[in-house]
Amino acid sequence: MTAILRNESGKLLRGSLTLTGLLVMLSAFFFVVFPTIQDEAALFEAVYPEYLLLLLGVEELHTIEGFIGGYLFPFIWVLLAGIYFAYVSAGMISRDSRTRRLDLTLAGPVSRESVVLEKVGALWVPLVALNLGLAAVLLAGVAVLGESLDAVALGMVHLLGVPYLLVCAGIGIVCSVIFDRVETAQATALVIVFFLWLVDGLSQLNPDFEWVGDLTPSRYYDPSAILVHEEYALVDAGILLATFLVLVGLAVLIFVRRDI
Amino acid sequence: MSAIRITDLTKRYGEIAANDGISFAVGRGEIFGYLGPNGAGKTTTIRLLLGLIKPTSGTAKLLGADIRDRRALTAAKADLGYLPDTLGFEERLTGREALDYFSRMRGDERRDELLELFDPPLEQRIETYSAGNQRMLGIVQAFMHDPTVAILDEPTAGLDPLKQDRMHAFLEAERDAGKTIFFSSHVLSEVQRVCDRVGIIREGKLVALEDINDLLERGGKEVRVQLTESVDERAFVTEQMIDVETVDSTVRFTYTGEAAALLDHLVRFEIDDVDIGDPQLDDIFKHYYGDETPSEGR
Repeated sequence: MTAILRNESGKLLRGSLTLTGLLVMLSAFFFVVFPTIQDEAALFEAVYPEYLLLLLGVEELHTIEGFIGGYLFPFIWVLLAGIYFAYVSAGMISRDSRTRRLDLTLAGPVSRESVVLEKVGALWVPLVALNLGLAAVLLAGVAVLGESLDAVALGMVHLLGVPYLLVCAGIGIVCSVIFDRVETAQATALVIVFFLWLVDGLSQLNPDFEWVGDLTPSRYYDPSAILVHEEYALVDAGILLATFLVLVGLAVLIFVRRDI
Repeated sequence: MSAIRITDLTKRYGEIAANDGISFAVGRGEIFGYLGPNGAGKTTTIRLLLGLIKPTSGTAKLLGADIRDRRALTAAKADLGYLPDTLGFEERLTGREALDYFSRMRGDERRDELLELFDPPLEQRIETYSAGNQRMLGIVQAFMHDPTVAILDEPTAGLDPLKQDRMHAFLEAERDAGKTIFFSSHVLSEVQRVCDRVGIIREGKLVALEDINDLLERGGKEVRVQLTESVDERAFVTEQMIDVETVDSTVRFTYTGEAAALLDHLVRFEIDDVDIGDPQLDDIFKHYYGDETPSEGR
């Protein structure tokens, strides 16, 4: 039974390519400005108090690794791509339910579990598109600037980013089965992901509240650590993956019990 | 085993009962008409049967599978065709791509045969389809896997008269081949034409369940006669005429007898114009199921 998976994958293709194109352009723009900020970055690190650097997740900004890990990835991957995954997933069930598309689908010999799982499975399309697109622009950018990046670290920063994006998708899919209106589901998912990202940053400012950040998914994905220190937090990635599975399980549980 | 057996099926939304203790069975090889005004609860019954919504109480069996048993119901749906009232096609797909999608789920051994009867423009995107083309695509997807049971919700809405006739003939042929058709409609004449038996639903309650011929006999015809001059009502009105209303030289009534007898009777008068039509569903309700007019419910 792959009819839904195939159909959903086709549906996601255009959006994924558009998003990848936009993010590639944005990344290229980051590379264009890197040489100009490189010198100031060292100064920036010297003058600004450490907490501000922490909030921005900035470390070794004057090196290419620090720049990509502390500037490019947190913005493009953690924030923008995370929001995209939450947004797209939040529309998956709610839109089909709203347009009565699900009536036709579920009139066939298809279980509700497989509807959710195949729809989530179709996220391989934006995952592959984004990873390939971003890796390509990184390699090109680094080469043009005459810098070099550790290939393993580059691979890992992409690989370990996947569970993070999946958690964002999990938040979206849960919203998608809870809310009847597409707009409500998508707005809620988007706001949750943005809010979690903000909480993670802010909680680092105050040691008393740093534990709050432990509840946010971005705490478990640190591109700076991967690129600058070559620290690969596999356990953290595992935690994200487990969270994703729990969210999908929750979505299935809610969906099989509700009227559509 | 009945194809569909509904037992005391109830679905409540707060205080409103969209379906209220409905019970009936549809046998194999039968065209069952499910008749009721818009908002009576027809679609609710169908969505309960498909497991899309859950009953508040009571249950139903579709091809022997209890609708509360998700696994069994999912398996039974391999042998079910469904034409919804609101067609939720993926509009960016072409007709052909949509049929390919459904065939991957259920098969399509009768696709070509059906496309000769109902011919939506397969190479165009569904978003460009007229209501009639969408309905035809819906009919093809509902029958292309040769299901034992077909549940059709207002199946001829949007079809031109020629295609409606074709649909009726197709359904009769399916019935003769042993298939079961559950035909929901608010159009009495259509149900009269194709159905063997009819259940009438009103405000969520099943108010009648009978053979179509019995209903026809009791349903009568709506007649309006325009006479050349005023006529003595006592001479004109017969026993078979009920609800007679006379305004000047126009007489309106519901005729419950044989059509031939009515025509025999009418030729004895000087007549300008005659209109004989099917009674409105509301009138049938009024005459045979109590006096209150059905209100728009769920």
